Amino acid sequence: MRVKGRTVAVSAIILVLLVVAFVVALCLGKPYVAPGDVLRSLFGEVTPYDVVVQRLRLPRVVLAVVVGACFGVAGALIQSVARNPLASPDVVGITQGAGLAATIALTSGAAAVVIAPAALGGGLLAAAVVLGLGARHGLAAQRFVLAGVAVAIALRALTEIVMLTAEPIDGQRAHIWLVGTLAGRGWTETSWLAITLLVLLPVLAWAGWALRTSALDDDTAKGLGVRPVARRAGLAAVGVLLAAMVTAQVGAVDFVALVAPQVARRLVRAERPPLIAAALTGSLLVVLADLAGRLLFAPTQLPAGVITAAIGGPYLLFLLVRRKS
Amino acid sequence: MRRRVVVLGGVILLVLVVVASLAVGSNPIGPVKVWHALVSPDGGETSTIVWDLRVPRTLLGLTVGAALAAAGVLLQALTRNPLAEPRILGISAGASLGVVAAITLFGVGSLTGYVWFGIAGAFGAGLLVTGIAARAGQGNSPVTLALVGAALDASLGAITAGILSVNARTFEEFRYWVVGGLSGRDADIAAQVAPFLLAGLLLAAVVARGLDALSLGDDVARGLGTRVGLVRVGAGLAAVVLTGAGVAAAGPIAFVGLAVPHLARALVGVDQRWVLAVSVLLGPVLLLAADVIGRVVAPPGEVSAGIITALVGAPLLALLVTRAKVVAA
Repeated sequence: MRVKGRTVAVSAIILVLLVVAFVVALCLGKPYVAPGDVLRSLFGEVTPYDVVVQRLRLPRVVLAVVVGACFGVAGALIQSVARNPLASPDVVGITQGAGLAATIALTSGAAAVVIAPAALGGGLLAAAVVLGLGARHGLAAQRFVLAGVAVAIALRALTEIVMLTAEPIDGQRAHIWLVGTLAGRGWTETSWLAITLLVLLPVLAWAGWALRTSALDDDTAKGLGVRPVARRAGLAAVGVLLAAMVTAQVGAVDFVALVAPQVARRLVRAERPPLIAAALTGSLLVVLADLAGRLLFAPTQLPAGVITAAIGGPYLLFLLVRRKS
Repeated sequence: MRRRVVVLGGVILLVLVVVASLAVGSNPIGPVKVWHALVSPDGGETSTIVWDLRVPRTLLGLTVGAALAAAGVLLQALTRNPLAEPRILGISAGASLGVVAAITLFGVGSLTGYVWFGIAGAFGAGLLVTGIAARAGQGNSPVTLALVGAALDASLGAITAGILSVNARTFEEFRYWVVGGLSGRDADIAAQVAPFLLAGLLLAAVVARGLDALSLGDDVARGLGTRVGLVRVGAGLAAVVLTGAGVAAAGPIAFVGLAVPHLARALVGVDQRWVLAVSVLLGPVLLLAADVIGRVVAPPGEVSAGIITALVGAPLLALLVTRAKVVAA
């Protein structure tokens, strides 16, 4: 149960970096706002920059933090359960399943409240399909990952069909929604995700404990009165829930769930991705990706999802090269 | 005998899908009327639809389908990997990136120009995927190569998406091209890419016998008098030209190169020349059938052929991967 000092230190450093990135993201853009003015505005003083900082930038940056944290934790949970760093929800089709279901809900004129549960259903269904495919060779095998990639491709194709068959306006809306941008999003999405995280907090605390003890092999675990299969299913379900919820709110911000837990794991030098460090790394990644997307080709904005995919694809290559059998 | 029957059946199927491709659409035209419009165009509505819309589309489907299927045969033989295919190995994504870069960065405006960039992109991606896979753990495993390809596909796809989101005009122009399909292409596209495809197919036919020898292992092939290096280079070059030209003409169409060679091998055995011949017949059958289905499945809109082939091919990929018999880990 002892948390290693290194984990705490690394998490603290990432947290500091995140705070810095947070303030920088509020400063940069057009117009530039000096850090001092940003801080004054945040702490309640009236400044000429209140609209820019509080109305335009703050909601988006806070959303980036929450989105990254959700993806980071979701990825850490699912990778840990599968004992496979490549088995993240955005590689094996789980977020694509959530995306498909949400697209169907979005284009069929369903009420906004239906979208999140639909995404959850789609994510769980996709997870069930992928797990079924992986059952024969085990979840740690690369085969499982490739089968998941195939499922992801099929689900994306289905999503395209749904968008094309929808009314043009709905289709356009779904398309914009699906690219995974934080532009034009803010407090509404943030509050949904924050509520999800808060409700799940006790579960996540349990998950952190369960992950630490699941380093034990199944027989030892059984001896201690733990049911390993049920526990793994529970952990995976929480991961799917988080991935689906965040996809329902902001679309596909690809590869955060893959990259963040693995980067955190390497920094901490642990066997499994640590939850809190993964969440913080995910937040940092999305804040920076959104900032880069905003600035690189200003005034044109690149969706954060495009930036994370451009980072995540090569990182996936790196993992494959590094992973000698 | 069996092989001849298969080829004959392939030809009959091809004729059927060509007729369907000329007849089916938002404005269905009966086969007899199609025939009349073909042999005696009178400038009326029917003959305009047939000649200006459906004939170019069908010709494009024929050429691109043949090219992608042949590229799949070559790549599978070359890598000795049943999962190899232009899309899965990231080669299509390289070709797409090449074409998008040609349009947005270099201002290339003609299809003949795109083709060269498509081929260059396919070539670069081919080098990357083989190079990275060689360095990856379990480098010889088919699954690893395919995963490296999928990661490369995602990386290059993200760059393409980035270029397209920055250039809104290019995006509008190429929205349909990006998902891969046959509709809305100019009449002369098929004619313009035909020389490239023909060259690629010829080269493929030349190296096919060498690929047979190669399947026995490099040493045996050398013992049989095959010039292994030359066959590899020839097959790789042909695959790159076929993929690059096919993608430049119709966008990245997935899985034709995966599904068709497997079907062909199931029908005619492992002789690469027969597999190639049957694949060149069945590739267009699959692509045109996908295109026809895409026209009717979501009225009044159309679903791109590339989406339909992805929907057919992805489950096949999952099936191949999870069955140990097909892919040794």
